[in-house]
Amino acid sequence: MAVNAPVAPAELKSNLNDPLVIAEKIKAQYPTAVEAANAQGIVVQGEQLLEVARYLHDTPELGFDYLHNVTSVDYPDRLEVVYHVSNLARGGTPLTLKVNAARQDPAVPSLVPVYRGANFQEREVYDMMGVRFLGHPNLRRILLWDGFEGFPLRKDYKEPYYEDERKPFGTRWDQGHHVIAEDRNPWHDNVKYPASFDAVGYKPQRDTVRTVGAEDAVATKLRTDKLVLNIGPQHPSTHGVLRLKVTLDGETVVAAEPVLGYLHRNHEKIGERNTYLQNIPFTDRLDYITSMANNLAYVVGVEKLMGIKAPERAEYLRVIMAELTRWISHIAAIGFIYNDLGAFYTPLLYGLEERELVLDLFEAASGSRMMCNYMRFGGVARDVPEGFLDKVQYLVTERFPRRMDELEAYMVGNELFTARARNIGILPRDLAINYSAAGPVLRASGVKYDLRRADPYSIYDRFEFDVPVGTVGDMHDRFTVRIAEMRESVKILKQALAQIPAGEIMTGKKNYQIRVPKGEVYGRAENPKGELGFFMVSDGTPNPYRYHVRAPAFINLTALNEMVVGHKIADLIVILGSLDVVMGEVDR
Amino acid sequence: MTLEPWLITVIEALIKVLVVIVVLLTGFAYLTLVERYVVAKIQSRVGPNRVGAAGGIAWLQPIADAVKMIMKEDFWPAQADKVTYTLAPGIAVATALLAWAVIPLNPAITVFGYTINFYIADVNVALLFLLAVGSLGIYGIVLGGWGSNNKYSMLGALRSTAQMISYEISLGLALVGVLMISGSLSLVKIVEQQSFWWFVFFQPVGFVIYFIAAVAEVNRLPFDLPEAETELVAGYQTEYSSLKFALFYMAEYINMITVSAIASTMFLGGYQGPFGILPGAHWLILKILFFIFVMMWMRGTLPRFRYDQLMRFGWKVLLPLALANIFVTAVVLVLIGK
Repeated sequence: MAVNAPVAPAELKSNLNDPLVIAEKIKAQYPTAVEAANAQGIVVQGEQLLEVARYLHDTPELGFDYLHNVTSVDYPDRLEVVYHVSNLARGGTPLTLKVNAARQDPAVPSLVPVYRGANFQEREVYDMMGVRFLGHPNLRRILLWDGFEGFPLRKDYKEPYYEDERKPFGTRWDQGHHVIAEDRNPWHDNVKYPASFDAVGYKPQRDTVRTVGAEDAVATKLRTDKLVLNIGPQHPSTHGVLRLKVTLDGETVVAAEPVLGYLHRNHEKIGERNTYLQNIPFTDRLDYITSMANNLAYVVGVEKLMGIKAPERAEYLRVIMAELTRWISHIAAIGFIYNDLGAFYTPLLYGLEERELVLDLFEAASGSRMMCNYMRFGGVARDVPEGFLDKVQYLVTERFPRRMDELEAYMVGNELFTARARNIGILPRDLAINYSAAGPVLRASGVKYDLRRADPYSIYDRFEFDVPVGTVGDMHDRFTVRIAEMRESVKILKQALAQIPAGEIMTGKKNYQIRVPKGEVYGRAENPKGELGFFMVSDGTPNPYRYHVRAPAFINLTALNEMVVGHKIADLIVILGSLDVVMGEVDR
Repeated sequence: MTLEPWLITVIEALIKVLVVIVVLLTGFAYLTLVERYVVAKIQSRVGPNRVGAAGGIAWLQPIADAVKMIMKEDFWPAQADKVTYTLAPGIAVATALLAWAVIPLNPAITVFGYTINFYIADVNVALLFLLAVGSLGIYGIVLGGWGSNNKYSMLGALRSTAQMISYEISLGLALVGVLMISGSLSLVKIVEQQSFWWFVFFQPVGFVIYFIAAVAEVNRLPFDLPEAETELVAGYQTEYSSLKFALFYMAEYINMITVSAIASTMFLGGYQGPFGILPGAHWLILKILFFIFVMMWMRGTLPRFRYDQLMRFGWKVLLPLALANIFVTAVVLVLIGK
């Protein structure tokens, strides 16, 4: 693992991340393409979006090779599709591209030909907002089912048992007692189906077999048949309710398609009903292994919008919590990889044994082991109890390093593991970038991109640590990168413990209702699973007007098919394990 | 009252059969408990400590498990082939039990002038019988996987067919070395020849090959591809529930006992102990438990092979090695003029 170069000072970084500069360059190429541009982003003409994207992607000088996020906002007069792109080598704040579409039958060109990582994200936007992406290879609903009427994230959509536009629900608290929503709302169970849909006699389509190898069969006079296997949603090793529709030729995978949405709860719609503060515990439920880190990503975003900063001690506490979370998430991940390899729970349980100690600490600090709800806007909820830091000190100086040496010796050196993991599920560097892979999956493919370095948030610019990268991008790399990252986390923890000052843990006083000025923000943090982003639009009210989550595990799944084709079914499971998906985050 | 000699023979055989079956089934039940404790210790857990616990061991746990298994709904997949689906667990258990007809457990003893032999039958081709019965065991798995009419089950059944056929060859060839030294196919004679030098000292390579192939034969980790819970859910057992499921498990554990018994008999001197302190059967049980412990240990620590790696290992490593072992044994035997 190579050592990362020190961060370039801000003034040395080129101004190529400035939307105004980019807008000028685009105008020079495509005079009519830019509708408007300001420091927040560029609004691009819908018809020319694909050319502009191709220009931004292909011009070596610009090189916007990575699509972070695709989402959309429903305004009263238009639908706005928002893209965040950046150049991974350059880092920094991503460039925001926007396209306006009419509210009636909205359509914009698909970016899949340029950024393959847009595939699932555009399907999600179609699913939730109804924006059709012209030229998308497979534009179907992704999180909701075929028999769903309407586009739930539109502001005029009323869900079943709809009560009120935003929380706190007036219907609930003014009379001082709770009444079941069904009893009082005029909509009742307003479940609707599309006009052409027969809800009673619904039968899902039969899975069709892709006849890829049919020609070979004719040539060899051998009658072979493909097998479509549904792995999941109930399966011991799909890490929750993920369903994979796999086409098999014998034991070899011909195609694998994730079918999502079994844990979908429309996190974003609920998030728009919630107040900003109510969303903090709600982010715990995204990736339930890493609730502290989810909190951090969310509060970092909202703080950016509010223009406040947490006091020193709170920032250090946040870093300590986030890095402990990274450690436990990775040790669970490598344990699960081994589990998927068939090692009967032993490595996993060894990892969970360590995780318990960290969860005890989380419980001491926040009152909850997994759903921590610890961060607040402008600080943390409460200071850590006495003796907390000593316990962390013991863990990071004595217990964790010893345990990691032990696990590494047993697990990385294992011959069966090497045979199973080397050159399995290779995701080459350029494909990893193009597929918008994030986190350890991206770094295992040799891309040295870590938000803690590339676009430092909180106080990560103060710490000395490396960004470990892999060489090949196979299963083995994704495994070793995680182990190396755990060592780096321990390094950061040691520094944070040595430097943490005493003092305030909150800017201002604790507030039930915060004031968030009008504006929009893409706040993000390097979660253990990858870049967790929160795109929020504020209209000045206590509730976010738009609340979008860029879920790293969801977008990492886009590249799954690329990785598994040609491998055995046993490898498919392990490759999926090496992506470390958590369905709470994928389906949202 | 005196009984006719043939009647005594029949009664004796029936009693022996009954004893062997009861002991094996009890052994199976308590082996599941042993396995849970062994794996629990490996994984730094406590293990079962509730049902009839005394002295830290849940003595009644297997009985509770058995009762639970019997009470569960006996599930029939709608599209299953009823005959094969029902027949498969029975075949698996029957063939597993059948092997015990020829394994000698103890030296013969004489009570009131009547000699009791601690085997059900002294067949002069006992070893061939063992291998034949072992091969039949695969029918339980294949028919179960096929009859369930489930894709996971079918993949598991196909895997197990390929795996068992490949490893059975190495398994058989590994035993040929012992046969060449002993010059007999009768297990009783083979054990008697090992009163001082166990055959493991003459056949170390054969022993290792036999043990690896035996683990593959009983579908234990790292060769548990027919079940492969993380890939194929439970492989050929996916659709089975209740007592049928228990029968498959019974077959697996009895097969574990069987291959351990064969390994002990063929290589470690069977009931022959090194010091003569304990009565014979104890030595055999100790040796069997040792092999079973090693299998549980492997299950607790090793990841699984992949299907193609397994086949490659079987055909390209084990089989040539087994053949070379036979060749070397033959050459040495000719040289020392035996």
